[in-house]
Amino acid sequence: MTPNEKNVIALCGRVGKILLENGAETSRVESTAEYIGAAAGVPVSCHATMTAVFVDANTGTHTHLVKVRTKNFNLRKVDDINSLSRQFTAGHIDFAALSAGVATIENEKKDFTLPQKILGAGLVSVAPMLLFKATWGDLGLAFFVGIAGYLASLWADQRTVTPYIASGIGGLVIGLLATLLQAIGWGSNADNIIISALMPLVPGVAITNSLRELIGKETISGTVRAIDAVLVAGAIGGGVVVGSAVIRLLTGGAL
Amino acid sequence: MLQLLIHAIISFASSIGFGIITNIPRRTLLPAGITGSASWVVYVLLTGATKSVIIPNLAAAVTIGLLANTAALIVKAPVNVMYIPSLVSLVPGAIIYMSMKDFTLGKDMAAQQGLVKTLTIAIALAVGFVIAEALFNQIRQPLFKALHRQTQR
Repeated sequence: MTPNEKNVIALCGRVGKILLENGAETSRVESTAEYIGAAAGVPVSCHATMTAVFVDANTGTHTHLVKVRTKNFNLRKVDDINSLSRQFTAGHIDFAALSAGVATIENEKKDFTLPQKILGAGLVSVAPMLLFKATWGDLGLAFFVGIAGYLASLWADQRTVTPYIASGIGGLVIGLLATLLQAIGWGSNADNIIISALMPLVPGVAITNSLRELIGKETISGTVRAIDAVLVAGAIGGGVVVGSAVIRLLTGGAL
Repeated sequence: MLQLLIHAIISFASSIGFGIITNIPRRTLLPAGITGSASWVVYVLLTGATKSVIIPNLAAAVTIGLLANTAALIVKAPVNVMYIPSLVSLVPGAIIYMSMKDFTLGKDMAAQQGLVKTLTIAIALAVGFVIAEALFNQIRQPLFKALHRQTQR
C-alpha cells in the first residue's frame, strides 16, 4: 500500500509535534519529518519553530500546521521516534506499522519510577561546582533540599496550567528550607545550599541549547528558548527571595 | 589526585541523576554519565591551569561533543540524549539564577555582570560543540566502519 499525500503529511506533523514537545532540537525535528516523507514517497518540506510545526508537500499545495506547547524534557520519546523513523527509512517496517508505532509513543507513559526520579533529583542537587567550596554538611543537606524543591515543582506542575508557577514554587520551597536550616544551625551557609539544591530546576541546559540553535542559524527558536530560560530563572529567583524573606521574618532577623 | 577522583564521582552521579529526571533511555545512562564525568575533569584541570572562563568551558564542550557522538554511534541514539545530561554540571544555571536574584533585590550592576557571564559561558559551550561536531564529521565514517566490523565479529 502506498500511503497517500494527506496521510504522510499528517503523520509527519505528529512526529514533529512529539519530537518538539519533548526536547529535540528544531533541526532534528525538520530532518526527521523530511526523511520520513521521502521514504514514504511524498517528499515534504518541514519548518519547525518552538511554537509550531509546518509540513508542506513539495509536489502539491497541501500544508499542515501543528501547534506545539513545549513541555519538560522527555528524551525517551525522542529516542523512540528516532529509532522508529530509522527502521522506516531503512525499509524494515511499512507505513502502517510506522503510524501505529507513532500512536503508541504519543500515548505511552514509560518513565522512571518516582523513587528513581527522587534519587536522581538528589544526585543532581549535589553540584560538582561547589565541591571543596561548600562544606560537606551543606552538600549533604542540599541533597535533601533539592529533592524537596523538585517534588514541590512537580506537584505544582500537575495542579496549575499557569506557566512558570512550578519553577517559582520549587524556588520558594528551596529558599524556605535552606534559610530555615541555617537559622536552626544545621547548615552553615544558606546560599551554598540554595545554589546546589537548585541544580535540577535551573534552565542552564535551555540556555546552552538556545545558543547552539542560534549558532545553527535557527534564529527564531533560539531566541524563544533564551527568553523562556530567563523567565524561568526569574521565577526561581523570585521564589527563593520570598522563601528566605519569610523565614528571616519569622526568626526575627533582618530582611 | 584524590580531589580529582571525588570530582569525577560526583559529576558522574550528577549526570546520571539528570538523565533520570529527563527520562533518557536506560542504555544511554552509562555513556552519558561517563561523558559528563570526563568533561567535568577536563574543566577542573583547566580551571586550575588558567584564569580564563572561556578556555575550560570550551575544552569541556569539545570533550562532550567527541565522546557523546562516539557513544551515540555505539548505542544508536540521538546525540542530544547524551548532550543534555552530561552538560548539567557545566551549564551556567546557577549563575543565571544568582543574576535574576540580584535583579529581584535591586542590585542592578551585579545582575548585569551575571547575565554577561551566563552569556559568555553559554557561547563558549556552544562554540565547543560546533568545533567538536566539525571534527567528528571528519572521523565519523572510519569510526562507524570500525565499530560495525567489531560488532559483526
